[in-house]
Amino acid sequence: MKPVLIAKNLIKSYTKGSRALDNVSLELNQGRVLVVMGPSGSGKSTLIRTFNGLENFDKGELNVLGIKIDSTHDEQKIQRIRKRVGMVFQQFNLFPHLSILENITLAPIHVQKRRKIDAEEYGMYLLNQMGIDSHARKYPSQLSGGEQQRVAIARALALKPELLLFDEPTSALDPERINEVLDAMRRLAEQGMTMVVVTHEIGFAKEVSDQVLFMDSGKVIETSTPDIFFSNAKHERSRKFLNQLDKY
Amino acid sequence: MFNINSDSINTLFQKVRKLLFSNLFNTVLSLVILLIISLVFFNIYKWFSLNSSWEVVTTNLPLYAFGSFPTDQQWRPATWMICLLFISLLTLFGPKWKWLRKNLLLAWIITIPLGLYLLYGGFGLSPIMSRQWGGLTLTLLLTIFSALLSLPLGIILALCRQSSLPLIQKSSSIYIDVMRAIPLISVLFFGQLLIPLFLPVGIEIDRVWRAIFAFTLFLSAYIAEDLRGGLQSIPNTQIESANSLGLNQVQIIRFILVPQALRIALPSLTNQAIGLFQNTSLMAILGLVELLGVGRSILANPEFIGQYIEVYVWLASVYWMVCTIMAVLARHLEQRMTINKTNFQKL
Amino acid sequence: MNKHRNIFLQYFIFIVFISLFGILINNLAINLIRTGIGINFSWLLKPASFALAEYPLPYSASDTYAWALFIGWLNSLKVIFISLILSTFIGTLIGFARTSTHSLIGLIAAGYITIIRQTPLLLQLMFWYFVGFLGLKDNILIHIENIFKVSNQGIELYGLSFSSEFSALLFGLSIFTSAYIAEVIRGGILSVSRGQWEAFRSLGLSEIKGLISIIIPQALPAIIPGLTSQYLNLAKNSTLAIAVGYSDIYSINDTIINQTGRAIECFIILLTSFLFFNLIISNSMEIVNKIIVSSKKYN
Repeated sequence: MKPVLIAKNLIKSYTKGSRALDNVSLELNQGRVLVVMGPSGSGKSTLIRTFNGLENFDKGELNVLGIKIDSTHDEQKIQRIRKRVGMVFQQFNLFPHLSILENITLAPIHVQKRRKIDAEEYGMYLLNQMGIDSHARKYPSQLSGGEQQRVAIARALALKPELLLFDEPTSALDPERINEVLDAMRRLAEQGMTMVVVTHEIGFAKEVSDQVLFMDSGKVIETSTPDIFFSNAKHERSRKFLNQLDKY
Repeated sequence: MFNINSDSINTLFQKVRKLLFSNLFNTVLSLVILLIISLVFFNIYKWFSLNSSWEVVTTNLPLYAFGSFPTDQQWRPATWMICLLFISLLTLFGPKWKWLRKNLLLAWIITIPLGLYLLYGGFGLSPIMSRQWGGLTLTLLLTIFSALLSLPLGIILALCRQSSLPLIQKSSSIYIDVMRAIPLISVLFFGQLLIPLFLPVGIEIDRVWRAIFAFTLFLSAYIAEDLRGGLQSIPNTQIESANSLGLNQVQIIRFILVPQALRIALPSLTNQAIGLFQNTSLMAILGLVELLGVGRSILANPEFIGQYIEVYVWLASVYWMVCTIMAVLARHLEQRMTINKTNFQKL
Repeated sequence: MNKHRNIFLQYFIFIVFISLFGILINNLAINLIRTGIGINFSWLLKPASFALAEYPLPYSASDTYAWALFIGWLNSLKVIFISLILSTFIGTLIGFARTSTHSLIGLIAAGYITIIRQTPLLLQLMFWYFVGFLGLKDNILIHIENIFKVSNQGIELYGLSFSSEFSALLFGLSIFTSAYIAEVIRGGILSVSRGQWEAFRSLGLSEIKGLISIIIPQALPAIIPGLTSQYLNLAKNSTLAIAVGYSDIYSINDTIINQTGRAIECFIILLTSFLFFNLIISNSMEIVNKIIVSSKKYN
C-alpha cells in the first residue's frame, strides 16, 4: 500500500491569532476512504481545501501523490496536483453558462489537451455511470440539486483523478435527494477510488469509510476506524458531537 | 388563435369594463382621456390628409437609404441592408434547426467584410470613396463597426481594471472614468480633429473611420464599466472550482469569467448598442451625411424648405423602427443567454 | 501556470501598452512641431472678438476668451439646472402614470416612453427648435398678458424671458430625460414588494396616501442612484445645445477652436468643466441620499 496523501504538522493561523489548522497530521493509503467530521468552524473544510491548494498553510508539509508542497505555495506544483486530484463542492459550482457535457469536457480538452471527440465520449460514459446521460445537453439551472451534484462528480472524474476530495457534498441538498449522491459515491469507493469526504452523514461514514477523522477548533481530536468511532469513541468531545448529530 | 366567437367578445367586453369603468372616478377619467386621445388623433389625421405633403419623403427615398452613393451602384448597399434584415428575421423567427443556429453567428460575422466589400468596391466592383457613403447605410455602418470594435476593447479595459498590477489598473480606471465624464459630441469632435495628430506623418484616415474610432474609444469605456459589474457579480466559487480543475489563469478568464460577465451584462450591453445607434446621429452636425444628415441637407434644399414636420416625423419613425427591431433582437438573445443570480446555486 | 512566466507575461503586456502609448505621444509631439501649434494657454487673455446671443453677465466681443468661456459655462449651468428640475417633475408624473392601475393612463405613459427613448435626442431637439418654436404660425402660441407668452421669440414668464434657443434646448432635454427618469421611478416603485401595497390597503389607507407615506419612502433608496446617473447624462447631453445655436460651454469651445485652432487646450478646458459639473451633481446627490437614509431608519 502506498500512501496517496500525507500531511505533516499543518498549521494555519487567522490574522486574529486563532488557528484554522492546529498541527494537523494524517496519512491516507491508496484505495481508502477517509471521512472527516466535526462541528462547523472546526477547520475540516480548510483542511480538505489545502489538499489541492485552494487554501495555503503557514507551517508544515503536504505530500499529495508524491508531490511535496510547503508553505511557499509553489503554483507550478499545485497546478500539477490539481490535474490529478478532483474536487466536489458543497454548492456544486457548475459553470452556469456551459451545458452539462461542456462542463465535464472543459478541463479534459483544455487542461489535458485531449481530443474533443474523446473527451465527449468519456464524458457521456461518466454521465451514464451517474445515471444522468439524458441531461447532457441541458444547462445546470435546469437540473435538480442532486442531479447537479452528480454532474459535479462526473466533472471531477473526467480528469481521471487519483484522489477525490468531497467538501460536504450533500449539505446543500434536499433530504430526499441526498441518497442519489451518496449512492454514486458509494459505487466510486467500491471501484477503489481514494477519497477524502467531509460530511455529516453517519450512515455513509459507517458503511463506506475506512477511517474517521474528528476535528474540533483546528485540531485532530481522534482518528479511528468507523466501528470504534461510532460505537465507542475514545474522546469525550467526539461523543458529545455524535450525540448532537443523533438528535437531528 | 383568432377564432372569434361570442364568448370571447363577451369576456373582452367585461375585461374592458373592469379595466376602464370600474367606478365613477375611473369612468370619468377614462372618458376624459378617450376624448383627449380622439381629439389628438383627429388633429393628426386632419394634418396628415390636408396640410402635409409627403413628397419630401417619397421623392428622396434613395437619398435617405444610400446618401449620395452613385445611383447605378445603389444595389450594393441595398444588398447589404437586405442581408442584415434577412439575418435579423432569421434569428428572430427562423426555424430552430441546430446547424442553422450554429451558423447564424458566422453569418452575422460575415456581414462585416461583405459590407466593406460592397461599399468600398474593388475586386470587380467600381471603387467608391467613403465620402459618398450616406443615409441609413452609413448610420448602420457606423453602429455595427463601432459596436464590434468597442466590445473587445471594453473587455480588455474591464480586465485591466481588475488587474493586480497597480499601474495598469490605475491607468485603465482613469481612462474609463474620464471617458464616462465627457460628452459624446466632444469625443466625436475632438476625434475628428485630434486622431490625425496621434498618427504617424503620412498616414491618414477618412472621416468615417475617424468617427468609428471615436465612437469606439467612447463606447468601450461604458462597456468596460458594464462588464466590471458583471465580473464582480461572478461568485468566487466559480474561480475556485475552475482552479481545482487545473485551469490556468488565462483559461479561467477566457472560458469562465468573460463569457459569464458578457451574459450577465447583456441587458446593459444591448442598451448601449441601441444608444449607439441613436447617437450616430450626432455625426450629422460633424460633417457626415448619415440618416439625420440627409434630413438636414434635404431641408436645406429650397424645393423642400420649411417641411420640417414631415422630415422629422419620417426620420423619427425610421429610427424608432430600427431601435425596436434591435430591442426585440436583444430580448430574444437575452432570453436564451442571460444568466442571473438564480443560476448560481444558493441556499 | 509558472509564477515567473506569469509575472513576465504581465510585464510584457505592460511594456506593450507603454510603448504603444509612447508611439502615440511621440506622433503627437511630431505633429505639433510640424504644424507649429504647440500647447499654451496665453491666448485665453486675448479678446474673443465674437458675439454671444445670450449672456447672464455683461459680455461684449472685446472681452477675453476666458470671460467668454465663463459665460458659456454659466449658460450650461443654467440649462442643466432648470432642465434637471423640469425633467424630474415630468419624469415622476410619467413614472407614476406608468405604474398606474388605470390601464389607459399606463398605456399613454408607455407610449410616451417608447417614442422618446427610441428616437435620437438630436432629432428631438431639432424638432423642438425648428417646429416647436421657430415654426410657430402667427408667431405666438399662448399669450396671457404679463404672465406667460410662448412665441417664436421664446418664452416669457412674469417678465423673465427665455430665448427660443434656450427654450427648445430646455424642452428637448427635459422631455428626453423625463422618459428615462420615468423608468427609474417605475423601477423603484416595482422594487417595493407587493406585500407592502397589500399591507397599507388592508389598513384602509387610500391609494394616494399609501403611495406617499408607504411606497415612496421605501422606493427612494433604489431610485436615487438611477436618478444620479440620469442627471449626469443630462449634463453631458446639454452639449447638444450647439444644434440649436445656444451658447453653452461646448459651443463656445467649438467657436474658439474654429478661430484659433487650439484644439488640445480646449479639450482640456472642456474636460475639466465636465469633471466639475459631474462633481457638483454626484456630490449633491450624495448629500440628498444621506438625508434620505438618515431620516428613514426603518429596519
